[in-house]
Amino acid sequence: MLNYAVKRLGLSIAIVSLAMFLLFCMIYLVPGDPASVALGPRATDAMKEALRVKMGLDQPIWVQFWNFFSGAWTGDLGEEVLSGRPVLDVVFEQLPYTLILIAGGITWSVALGIPLGCWAAINRGSFADRLVGILSVAVIAVPSFVVAIYALLIFAVTLQWLPAIGAGEPGDIGDQLVHLILPSLAVGLGWVGYIARMVRASMLEVLEASHIRTARAFGLPDRTITYRYALTIAILPTITLLGVGIGQMLSSAVFAEIVFARPGVGKLVYDAILTRNFPVVTGAVLVTTVIFVLLNLVADLIVGALDPRVRSSF
Amino acid sequence: MASIDIREFKVTSPTKNGLNRRSFLAATGAFGAASMAFPHMAISQDGRVLTVRSYSDLQLLDPAFRLSLPEDDIIREIYAPLIEPVAGDEWDWRPVAVSSIEQIDDTTINFTLLEGMQFSDDYGEVTAEDVKFSIERIADPANESPYAGDWAALDSVEVTGTHTGTIKLKNAFVPLWSTTLPTPASCIVSKKAVEGAGGKLGTEPVAQFGRYMLTEWVPKQRTVLKRNPDWPGEPGQFDEIHIIPIEDPATAERGFEAGDLDYTWTSVSSLPRLKENPPVGSVVLEKPSLAYVWLGINQDNEALQDPRIRRAIQHAIDREIVVDAAYFGAASVGNGIVAPGLPGSRDSVTYDYDPDKARALLAEAGAEGLSVTLDILNQTERLTAAQVIQANLADVGITCEIKQNDSGTFWSLGSKEGDYFMDLQLVLSRFSMQPDPSWATVWFTPEQVGVWNWERFNSAEYKALHDEGLVTSDPAERDRIYKEMQRLMDESGSYVFLTHEVIGAIHKDDVEPGLKPNGESLFAQFKPA
Repeated sequence: MLNYAVKRLGLSIAIVSLAMFLLFCMIYLVPGDPASVALGPRATDAMKEALRVKMGLDQPIWVQFWNFFSGAWTGDLGEEVLSGRPVLDVVFEQLPYTLILIAGGITWSVALGIPLGCWAAINRGSFADRLVGILSVAVIAVPSFVVAIYALLIFAVTLQWLPAIGAGEPGDIGDQLVHLILPSLAVGLGWVGYIARMVRASMLEVLEASHIRTARAFGLPDRTITYRYALTIAILPTITLLGVGIGQMLSSAVFAEIVFARPGVGKLVYDAILTRNFPVVTGAVLVTTVIFVLLNLVADLIVGALDPRVRSSF
Repeated sequence: MASIDIREFKVTSPTKNGLNRRSFLAATGAFGAASMAFPHMAISQDGRVLTVRSYSDLQLLDPAFRLSLPEDDIIREIYAPLIEPVAGDEWDWRPVAVSSIEQIDDTTINFTLLEGMQFSDDYGEVTAEDVKFSIERIADPANESPYAGDWAALDSVEVTGTHTGTIKLKNAFVPLWSTTLPTPASCIVSKKAVEGAGGKLGTEPVAQFGRYMLTEWVPKQRTVLKRNPDWPGEPGQFDEIHIIPIEDPATAERGFEAGDLDYTWTSVSSLPRLKENPPVGSVVLEKPSLAYVWLGINQDNEALQDPRIRRAIQHAIDREIVVDAAYFGAASVGNGIVAPGLPGSRDSVTYDYDPDKARALLAEAGAEGLSVTLDILNQTERLTAAQVIQANLADVGITCEIKQNDSGTFWSLGSKEGDYFMDLQLVLSRFSMQPDPSWATVWFTPEQVGVWNWERFNSAEYKALHDEGLVTSDPAERDRIYKEMQRLMDESGSYVFLTHEVIGAIHKDDVEPGLKPNGESLFAQFKPA
């Protein structure tokens, strides 16, 4: 197990390094002068040049990359271009909003997807099974930004049940949760379909297994067999799926944060790209990449710990 | 008298939460019964809190280094200016931090500060020495303030008493009363506080004293201003102003319709819809804008060096159709860079829509079958306008390829520091201005070639007229000067003037917004209706 964990950790570090290198290359290729964009129309040439030097843009790309990575290892992600605030502070101000949003999305997807998948598997071939199948595909097919816009128009604008913008009153968890309902639904709805389908397929496989037949032979109640013996095994692939899903939810979070005017890392990166605030872009992407890779690592380690075949095949 | 301690200022993150019974019940209700009708609470309560949208979050709260209009709005409230614009339909000003201010002659302005204005954080009373420091630090080239030009005519500020002083100019400067003094260029900061902060203010306000105090900033979420009970002048009308940064106007409109905002700007293209079906309990406003939108033609580009080709493009564009299509009929055609109501505003241009003449000019120049590129910012209105221009040009035999750019790329296209400025051919641009024509004409002088003059229009006569306009106080003469400058722009063939747009805004009917004639906000002049 230790050998497996070390190998997975090494791979994770390589993935983060490669992702950051690709990001640096993209930033280098993007047109537009960051100093001109940041300082606006009234800046003098001298001011722009001073800012370029401050941002390190006068250095070759490999020097910029080295400076960034050597700083990142010590927790120094540089300073925001204009305010001079540490990028790490700026990112960590926004990160909780995004993590909460994703947690909300996962809550929706798990809370709805698992029961639906179980229900469909138990009623295999029935109308309920077909209905869940159709609904699953439908919600997977609808992009999250479409869900976001329609949810906002229906529940916030027309019915006025829920707020349309913001993340809620700071310090008031209840208000923050109310503000979370629609954005997290937009982020998580597609994953309800994925999880329902995954759970259904796994459940059908497990329900045919010999230990389930044995349990039935012993006369255990269907409810106990389904939830205690079948679901606990069928849920394993869903854990891995969720690890991947978090990456996609991070992408969806950008749209949700823009549509609902919510703070968050997605919106932070979006705004920073438009204003060519590269230290914030690189810092925020590094933090989110590390989180994504870590979550996948944890998911793999959990699955590896539960299933020896996975460890031996790596 | 009660006071607000600046130590109350906080940058808040969601990790600093408290859970009380009400929060818990609300949370339970939220997640346990998401499908139930859960009436949400708007932030505004009892008309004492005003919730408004700004199009960006604050970045720097320093009058000398501010970056955008939303920062101007906040800075004006926490570091009071000498004077400010009056809300209404006419450009006028009123005193804020002064009890009197008077121009004695072309180069001398005397002022007397209100007494009793106290900086927070124990920085003492606001004095004329602070005014001198605040103005001279902007004007001093060593400080490299982007707003140094506002005080280009400044000689010095003389302190004549604790509350009195004299602003001395090197020469007459007509825009002083329209675009320098009523802006954050006259906002007062504490000399002691700024020097203590190393010469620049950041995002954390220091030594506030205005009508409102910034008490909370949640980055990307909101800024809270609280009324300053110690302000000796006319107080703000709301206890608190909550400023919500929302870049996308459509999102802001949805937020308003959902009841989360009291006031917001709208996109121009939404105006017809909102005017036809205003949300219940709201008022839709349409204000003339100071912006100007035009199709620029790079006269140094190899394919466009012949003036006949540029004139052909001018005649090929049906400006009325372009503007109608792009703004759904909400905006009208503009005839220059100077907005209506200002000296130099024109009723017409010197070219008309004449496709036959355009074809003839192209034939004369031997440019049949010309292909050009048109760079635009990736916004709906610009794309629609560009598509109509593309169709107009196709009608006279010019093939036009539209190139959409994000804002970061777009605003560097014509810069001499880039590698595209000579390849740039047609570009659809939009600038805004302060209420003085010199603010529009300054960007097209020869010094601005390759900076913001992307058409590379290079006219010594234009430059001379621009300089003359800055020192000419006779309105009729100024009118003549600025009209002549725009005629020179027409003559160059490098400009097709499209529109000044309009500003759309919407507010709840229990709020009376305080707006400049061009629709920009003056928070302290908002009132409960």
